[in-house]
Amino acid sequence: MGQLFNIDLKKIYSSNDKEAADRKKNFEFFLKRGLPNKKNENWKFSDLNYIISKNFKNITNNNEYKFDKKIETIHDFDHNKVILVNGLLKSFDLHFEEKDKVKIETLKSLESFHYQSKNNLDYLNKALSIGGFNLEVQQNYKCKKPIIIYNYFSENLNNKIINNSNRIQVSQNSELTLIEYNIIEKSKFIKNTFEKINIDKGAVLKHIILQKTKSNGYFYKNISGTQGYNSSYQNFILSSGLKFNKIEIDMILEKEKSSCHILSGLNLSKEEHQEIKTQINHLAPNCKSYQKIKNVLENDSKGVYQGKIFVKDIAQKTDAYQLSKALILNDRAEFNAKPELEIYADDVKCSHGSSSGGIDEEAIHYLMTRGIELRAANKLLIKGFLNEIFDNIPEEKIRTFLEKTIAGQIDEVR
Amino acid sequence: MKTEELKNQEYKYGFTTEIENFKAPKGLSEKTIRFISEIKKEPKWMLDWRLKAFNRLKVLKEPNWQKPKYPKINYQDLYYYSAPKSMKDKPKSLDEVDPKLIETYNKLGIPLNEQKRLSGVAVDAVFDSVSVATTFKGELDKKGIIFCPISEAIQKHPDLVKKYLGSVIPISDHYFATLNSAVFTDGSFVYIPPNTRCPMELSTYFRINASETGQFERTLIIADKGSYVSYLEGCTAPMRDENQLHAANVELVALDDAEIKYSTVQNWYPGDKDGVGGIYNFVTKRGACRGRNSKISWTQVETGSAITWKYPSCILQGDNSIGEFYSIAITNNHQKADTGTKMIHIGKNTKSKIISKGISAGQADNTYRGLVDIKVKAKNSRNYTQCDSLLMGNKCGAHTIPYIRNKNSSSTIEHEATTSKINEDQLFYCNQRGLNQEEAVSLIVNGFCKEVLQQLPMEFAVEAQKLVSISLEGSVG
Repeated sequence: MGQLFNIDLKKIYSSNDKEAADRKKNFEFFLKRGLPNKKNENWKFSDLNYIISKNFKNITNNNEYKFDKKIETIHDFDHNKVILVNGLLKSFDLHFEEKDKVKIETLKSLESFHYQSKNNLDYLNKALSIGGFNLEVQQNYKCKKPIIIYNYFSENLNNKIINNSNRIQVSQNSELTLIEYNIIEKSKFIKNTFEKINIDKGAVLKHIILQKTKSNGYFYKNISGTQGYNSSYQNFILSSGLKFNKIEIDMILEKEKSSCHILSGLNLSKEEHQEIKTQINHLAPNCKSYQKIKNVLENDSKGVYQGKIFVKDIAQKTDAYQLSKALILNDRAEFNAKPELEIYADDVKCSHGSSSGGIDEEAIHYLMTRGIELRAANKLLIKGFLNEIFDNIPEEKIRTFLEKTIAGQIDEVR
Repeated sequence: MKTEELKNQEYKYGFTTEIENFKAPKGLSEKTIRFISEIKKEPKWMLDWRLKAFNRLKVLKEPNWQKPKYPKINYQDLYYYSAPKSMKDKPKSLDEVDPKLIETYNKLGIPLNEQKRLSGVAVDAVFDSVSVATTFKGELDKKGIIFCPISEAIQKHPDLVKKYLGSVIPISDHYFATLNSAVFTDGSFVYIPPNTRCPMELSTYFRINASETGQFERTLIIADKGSYVSYLEGCTAPMRDENQLHAANVELVALDDAEIKYSTVQNWYPGDKDGVGGIYNFVTKRGACRGRNSKISWTQVETGSAITWKYPSCILQGDNSIGEFYSIAITNNHQKADTGTKMIHIGKNTKSKIISKGISAGQADNTYRGLVDIKVKAKNSRNYTQCDSLLMGNKCGAHTIPYIRNKNSSSTIEHEATTSKINEDQLFYCNQRGLNQEEAVSLIVNGFCKEVLQQLPMEFAVEAQKLVSISLEGSVG
C-alpha cells in the first residue's frame, strides 16, 4: 500500500491543528487496512484493490484547481448553474431562484462526516477531503428550475486522487431537482466522494447523476441520507462512460409515508465496470421504496447490483420493490446481482426480481421481418430497454434531454 | 385435531433410549481419529485420508458470515464416537441386534423387520455413530445395487470409495466439511450400476441418542450411467437442554444419463419454547452432475434443529445436465435457519430450478441464501429461481440473499422473491366454512408449500404435511 500512495497531507488545507491531526490519524488507519478487496462482502464483485493497483501507481493528491476553459453548458432547458472544478466549488449562478431561498457555499466543516464506519474509503475521505459544496433549500420553497452541477475535471489529473464531501439539505416542504453532470478531460484519476442528504418533512429531491462522455475516471461515491415524514427522494443513475464507478446509497426512511426511488439505466462498453449498491432502511410504517436497475453490457464490461431492503419490525405496511435486469450482449461481459431482503415485519409487501440474459431473438426477428435491419433493430430494443426508467420524470424537457443523452451513448457503442 | 392435542404432540421423537454406550475418549485429537479408524477396522489409506483432513482442519477457521450466530463450540468437550455396546461386534442378522434398538426404531415408525414393511423401502438405520441394520439387502444385491453402511463399503468396495469419496466435497473444503472428513463415523453408501433403475426407495434414518456427542455421518451416492435412484433421509433426536452438533457430508455423483433424487425430512430436536437445547445442523450437501444429461434433484423439508445451516448444491458439469432444489424451511420459537442452494453451471445447455419456501413464526429467523453462477462456457443455460417467505407475527424475520452471476450472453437467469403474511381474506374464508384458526393456517401453509411437497415421495409427503402443521402450532392466535 505504501508504494501505491504517495500522499502529502501537508498540502491539504486544514482549518486548525485538530483537523490536521485527525487527517493524519484517519490516513494511518486507512493505510493499515488498505483499499477494500473482494474478501470484503461489500466489494465481493468489484475488487477495488485489484482494480486500482492494476491501473495506478504512485498516487498523489491533487492541488491544482486552475480553471481557464469555458464549459460547454446544456442548452436544452433553463437551469441554475453550479461549477465544481476538480471537486471544489468554483462558481455558481442561481438567478432563476428567489433571493436567499437557495444557498450554496463551500463546505467548511467536515464534522458531520465523523461517524463510525466499516468502510475504509470513508477513512481515506476523512483524511484527504478538500471539502465540496453545501447546498441548502429553505422551507416551503419549491425551486423554479433545476440546478445543474457541472462537475469539471481538468486534464492534468493523471495518477491523482480527489476526495471531496458534499451536503444537501432540502428543508420542510421544499422541492429541488439536482443534476450532477460530470465533464472529464482525458486524464486517468480516482475520485472518492461522500455525500450527506437530509430531506425534511414533505420535501422532494430529484437527483440525477449523468456522465457527459467516456472517460478514464475511477469513481466511488457514497450517498447517505435520512428522510422525514411524507418526503420523497428520487435518484436516477445514468453514469455510463467511466472506467470504474461504484455508487453506494444508504437511505434511512425515518418517518412514515416517505418514499425512495432509485432508478438506473447503464449502457456499458469496453473495459467499463459499474456497481450500484443500495441499502434502503424502512424504519417507519407506510413507507415505499422502489428500485429499478437496468444494465446493457457490451464487450468486456461488468455490471453489478447489490441491493438491500431492510424492514424494521414496526415498519408495517411497507411496500418495497427491487428489480434488476441486464442485457448481456457479449460473452465477455458479465452481470452480478445480489438483491437482498431483510424483513422483520409481517404485514409488508416486499419483493424482488432479477433477470439477465441476451437480447430476445424473437423480437429481433419480428423487427427484421418488418424491414428494420439488424443493427437498427438491436439499437431500438436497447433504447426501449433503457428508456423505461424515464417514465418517472414528468418534466418533458429534462426527459427529452436524458433520452437524447442515452441515445448518444448507445450510438457511440454500436 | 384440537389445539390442545397439537400442543401435546410438540416433539414426539424426544425420548431417549436407555442403552449402554461405548464411546471414544472425549475431545478432538489424532488419537480420537485413530480410535475411530481402528474400531471401524479401516484400511490404512482411509486413516491417512482422515489424518490429512485433520491436519488441514488445524489451519482452517470456523466460518462466521452466516446469519444465525451460535455460542462457540468446544470441540474438545465432545464425544466423536458413540455406539451401543451391543453393536461392538457387528451382529450378523437382525435377530442378533439388541431388541432395545429395534424397539427404538419401531417407536420412530421405522420397523427394521422386513416382513412388517408395507411398501418397498430399503432402510439403513444409523444410531449415533453406527449403522444398526440395513434392510432388503438381498433383493438389492440381485440387481447389483450396493446399499450399505459406508464403513462396510470402505472394506468391501474400496475402489469405488477411493474413487469417489471427497471428489465432490474435497477434504479441504471448509471447516465443518473438513471436520467431518476427519472424524466421520457412519452413513450410507449407494452404488447403482449402469442402466439400472433402483426398484425401491432407499432410505437412511439417522438418530442421535447419546448426550454430549456430535454426529458426523457421511453419505456417498453414485449413480452410474443411465441409472436412477431415489433416496430418502430422515432424522430425529431426543430432547435435551444441551446443543448437539450434527455435521454431515453428503456427496452425490451422477454420471451420463443418470438421475438422483434426494429427499430429506429433517426433524432434529428444535429446542424448547425458550430456545434451550436443540441440534446444530451444519451440513454440507453437494451433488455433481458429471455426465451428459444427468440430473440431481434435492428436496428438503426442514422443520427441526435449533440452527439449520446448509446449502444442498449442484455442480452442473455435464452438458444438458439438470439441477433442481425444492425446499421448505419452517422455523418457530427461537429456531434459526440459513439455507438455500448453489447451482454452478459449467456445461452447455444446463438447466436449474430453485423453489424455496420459508416460513417464520415466533421469534425465529429464516434466511434463504443461494448462488446461481453461469460460467462463460455454459452456453444456452437457464435458471429459474423463486423464493417466497411467509411471516407470522412481527417478532420473526425473513431474509433473502441471492447471489446471481451471469457471464454469458446466451444464458438466462430469472429470479423472483416475495415476502408476505397469510392473507386475512383467505383466513376469513376458511373460518367461515367452519375451520378453526389453526386448521385454516395449516391448510393455507400447506397450499403455500404445495410445489415442494408434491416433489416428495408418497410416504414422505404425508409425514411432511403433518410435520408442517405441527411445527407451526401455537404460532397463531
